Amino acid sequence: MPDTLTGPATSTGARTSGSPAAAPRDAARRSPATGRLSRARRAGIYLGLLAASGFAVLPLLWGLSTSLKPESTVLATPVRWIPEHLTLENYEAVLFHSQIPLNLLNSVIVSVVTVLVTLVIAVPAAYSAARYRFRGKAGLLFFILMTSMVPGIAVLVPLYYLAVKLGVYDTYVVMIVIYSAWQVPTIVWILRGFFESIPVEIEEAGRVDGMSAAGAFLRLVLPLAKPGLGAAAIITFVYVWNDYLIASTFVSDPDLRLISVGLYTYLTQYGTVWGQLTAAVMVTLLPMIIAFVLFERRLVAGLSAGASKG
Amino acid sequence: MSAASTVVQAGPEQPPPAAAPRDGRGPARRRRFGPVALYLPALVLVALVSVFPIGYALRLSVYRTRALRTVEFIGWDNFATVLGPAGWADIARTFVYVAVSLLLAVPLGLGLAVLLNKQIRFVRLFRVVILLPWVVSQTVAALLWKWLLNGQYGPLHGVFGGEGPLASTWGSMASLIVVNVWLSYPLATILCLAALQTVPAEQIEASRVDGCTPRQSFFLVVVPAIRSTLLILVIMLTLLYFNMVTLVYTLTGGGPFSGTQVLSLNAFLQSFQFFKIGIGAAYSVVLFVLNIVFGVAYIRVLKGKNDA
Repeated sequence: MPDTLTGPATSTGARTSGSPAAAPRDAARRSPATGRLSRARRAGIYLGLLAASGFAVLPLLWGLSTSLKPESTVLATPVRWIPEHLTLENYEAVLFHSQIPLNLLNSVIVSVVTVLVTLVIAVPAAYSAARYRFRGKAGLLFFILMTSMVPGIAVLVPLYYLAVKLGVYDTYVVMIVIYSAWQVPTIVWILRGFFESIPVEIEEAGRVDGMSAAGAFLRLVLPLAKPGLGAAAIITFVYVWNDYLIASTFVSDPDLRLISVGLYTYLTQYGTVWGQLTAAVMVTLLPMIIAFVLFERRLVAGLSAGASKG
Repeated sequence: MSAASTVVQAGPEQPPPAAAPRDGRGPARRRRFGPVALYLPALVLVALVSVFPIGYALRLSVYRTRALRTVEFIGWDNFATVLGPAGWADIARTFVYVAVSLLLAVPLGLGLAVLLNKQIRFVRLFRVVILLPWVVSQTVAALLWKWLLNGQYGPLHGVFGGEGPLASTWGSMASLIVVNVWLSYPLATILCLAALQTVPAEQIEASRVDGCTPRQSFFLVVVPAIRSTLLILVIMLTLLYFNMVTLVYTLTGGGPFSGTQVLSLNAFLQSFQFFKIGIGAAYSVVLFVLNIVFGVAYIRVLKGKNDA
């Protein structure tokens, strides 16, 4: 659908030229993938990147635009990308007269705890996978990885019974346990590549200096694995933040709702109030976008360091 | 699961640096059990949350159920429903959805990774903007695109005319695929970008000196170098697409006229909307089998190529 993209693509182009500060530093750091680029190729590259940027931000900009319109003009035709009258009334309604802030807090709690639990469980397994060989190791690793092929939807009903039976239905705990279990296989896989890329000699040197194996791991290996741990943490956090299925199946108490469920409830309750709904969406996106802008480079760097050996 | 035996490689035990359980057992025992013990928490967790429940789902799939209770054993009857004419339509739609999404998302992701790996101005800004959909949830993506594509008030009204793409069966399948690609190409770009940065620049320059065109050096040098990442990516995306429920449920709900009703959605609807958990379990078992078949096939290709 190239036709639909040209409009917003040019508008992004206008915005990009406004903030040149970040680029040169970054360009200087990177190793050149190819030699000098000809003018035509350079133009082609920018064109491609602009088109992709347009595709990426098109629905987000339209949502942003709607969220800033007064309710009376949301459904007005002809369509306006830039609202005639700007208003924050939708944001006020979302932030001060809805459950959304509470939902956000719940999501932060559950996401952060899940990240910690996942790392604590995945790190030892990944380390063992990278450093030790024993009979049946490949089978064990394969078994853990295979569980990521179990469709979430298939185990939802059994897990529901289990949660009710164990008395953990409607708690943070049940969500954290399930999220962690579903993220552990992927994270073990990513971190294994990471630990393999750290030379074993570093630990051996520490052992010679009188450290215990655990000490050498905690004091020498773990700090070196920080980029990998960071990438793993980001991936897990985004996963939990964005999940809807678990959050909607295992919690019915409105006070424990995560943000994705909160948004869906908003939709069904105020189905036609698009101004408020898009404002709610923007409010939930904002923390993620800020976090992403801050950590984006670390994510790619972290993954590439692990991938070099994976 | 037959591939499990083929990948098992019994290696000799490697001497320390040993893992140290702090319970002061003898060094010999420590060496033998330490490495396995490190797996234990992960094993217990996945057994509890994935393995045991999928066993239970297998059992449910051969029972007739009423109101969340098993009534009687009926063997393959549920599967007869799932693999009947209606079920086959779901399966066909699932394959269209997965295959077209893969064919669009992987080249798009790789292409953008190549562009973002160039030495140009504003590349970091482009990277942030282009990868942005990665942090958008399926629920939010569905809401935003629904609002963008709606025929009456949407800004694309002029492009599609009339009722908008979500009103027709083909239009809604196409929309579903576009939104799905929008959501998942950033993952492809992130992984490809990470892999591209591990390809030594000298290798590419050498191929250029040897007379390769940029295109040739891309397909003959770069793509082979990141092959394993590409395969892992294809596995991840295939599993993601096969099992996607939330996006389909929120964007189209399977409609109109079941035009976007895929297996995963039907598994969800049968269990949680019609409360036919037996049929729902049968749908998810079929889904599980598809996951295994494709997962194992990809892994075999991956291992086969690596060994060669």
